[in-house]
Amino acid sequence: MLSLSAEITESDVNLKMINGDENATPGDVAHAGALMKFAEAVASRDEEQLASARSALLEAAGAEVLVDAAAVAGNFQRMVRIADSTGIPLDERNAVLSHKIKSELDLGRFATAQHTPPAGLKRRLKSLIAKPMAVRMFRKLQQ
Amino acid sequence: MQHFTYDDSPYPIRAGLGEAHRRFWDELSKPGNWFTGKQRVAIAQEVRYAIICPFCKERKAALSPYSVKGEHLCGDTLEPRVVDAVHRVITDQSRITQSYIDDNAANGLSEEEYVELVGVAVIVFSIDEFHRALGLSPEPLPEPQAGEPSRYRPAQIERETGFVSMITPDGATGEEADLWPDRTANVLRALSLVPNALRAWIMVATEQYLSIRAMTQFGDFEGRALNRMQMELVAGRVSSYNECFY
Repeated sequence: MLSLSAEITESDVNLKMINGDENATPGDVAHAGALMKFAEAVASRDEEQLASARSALLEAAGAEVLVDAAAVAGNFQRMVRIADSTGIPLDERNAVLSHKIKSELDLGRFATAQHTPPAGLKRRLKSLIAKPMAVRMFRKLQQ
Repeated sequence: MQHFTYDDSPYPIRAGLGEAHRRFWDELSKPGNWFTGKQRVAIAQEVRYAIICPFCKERKAALSPYSVKGEHLCGDTLEPRVVDAVHRVITDQSRITQSYIDDNAANGLSEEEYVELVGVAVIVFSIDEFHRALGLSPEPLPEPQAGEPSRYRPAQIERETGFVSMITPDGATGEEADLWPDRTANVLRALSLVPNALRAWIMVATEQYLSIRAMTQFGDFEGRALNRMQMELVAGRVSSYNECFY
């Protein structure tokens, strides 16, 4: 969704931040580094790291950003557990749209990737067409 | 007792967050579709035990979850299978398999009960994680309300994908017409065997993240301090750290 958001809003985003690359440039995402470290600290459950990341985000972006970032982080601590506990595969439509980015980030290395059938030629070809179409459609919806 | 007042929070908490959390706490305390209020609150308590459970820590570190034997740090309200399932969902969810769920179903923890316990556990966990992220204490659990579970099971169920039965993609009709329009993604269908579990997570997710309708919007959101790219960066990093392919 980060990739899609960036394309729809024609923004510059470095997707390596998703994998926690500290050298990734922030692009057009305000407070990207502090948000990335805060999210990682929540997920890691390292309380020392979390206290430090919380202070850094608060100082950089303010209390309202901190609260909303905590809410989103809590939300996605839930979503991963719903997906894994029920073994759901990625829907074909979403698999098509996210094929390229999942390859770039090597998300197939995760154990739960086995719940989704691997990409064949058909999905790879469809991804070339479907993503630009989806971006155009969502851009129209924003207007 | 008024829950989630956030009077002790050093940060201003949006009113919608407190309201959603309060509403869920009320739901949590009542009988569900398959568990009593007392059992649902006990499931919430197990979420908190799971985080500090030494056996869960040992099992998570093991090559196979079945290679270690031991006992959970837990309360005394729930059956051991229910306790184990809650602890697995919170601490070792990526190694849950179809055979684990089928074995539970054959030995007293039905598929419907499993889905309801997942629903309760993950929402409690997401609220607790919100608190922990801000350095706040966990909210005291609600007092259970009396009553029996409804044992409601939706009509249009299929067992075609994933580990558990779900409402068919085009089956949100009748009593379930509010769940999604026309067709939807698997992540929404995942808990639909217990429709109130899905309704509860949509209600909480609408405040912690976005409403279903807002997911097709990609700019700024009124009343939110994060724009969509910032939300997705946080979401993506948390998911990636948890090795979530979905």
